[in-house]
Amino acid sequence: MSLWFDVARVTAGLNVLLLAVLLSIWGRNYLDLRSKHALGLMVFAVLLLLENLVALYIYLVDPTLSVWFSSAVPDIAWQGMMSLHVLETIGVGFLVWITMD
Amino acid sequence: MEAVLWYVFTGTRGGKNRLRILRAVDERPRNANQLAESLDLDYKTVRHHLDVLVENDVVQKSGDGYGAVYLPSDRARHHWETIETIMEQVE
Repeated sequence: MSLWFDVARVTAGLNVLLLAVLLSIWGRNYLDLRSKHALGLMVFAVLLLLENLVALYIYLVDPTLSVWFSSAVPDIAWQGMMSLHVLETIGVGFLVWITMD
Repeated sequence: MEAVLWYVFTGTRGGKNRLRILRAVDERPRNANQLAESLDLDYKTVRHHLDVLVENDVVQKSGDGYGAVYLPSDRARHHWETIETIMEQVE
């Protein structure tokens, strides 16, 4: 089991939590405002949330892929995959920071 | 500027109260204390929102010390149509 795989799974999980926070704020604003701007932010959060849920699903749950990901994928591939999740966590983290403000 | 206005008022958690503050200082310039009282908000909350609004150049401070009041910035005046559109949505 690769350390990079662990980092990828943890950051994908973190992304789900951060996006859930954004979705709760933006979703409430959309219900209040019904403007296309509020809708756009909400749709963005929903899609990025789905992306991360799909990642977690194929990493952890899917009977074929989860076995493959945890045994047959080499470190160098995980380093690349992990960097995508980590960069997204940083980006979404900043959005949460200014949105909670 | 328009994107910033939309985000500050409709993208964030405190957007609604910021819009109430902007409406109040547009009616007449007020200080943080008066705003807290007339909007029934915590003084610290009002201070925080004012800081965010000043940082984004939506309101400006006039005078200093206890007499300092806040009023819409020149930039906000320039984009007042956008602000009115946002206010209509929130009502």
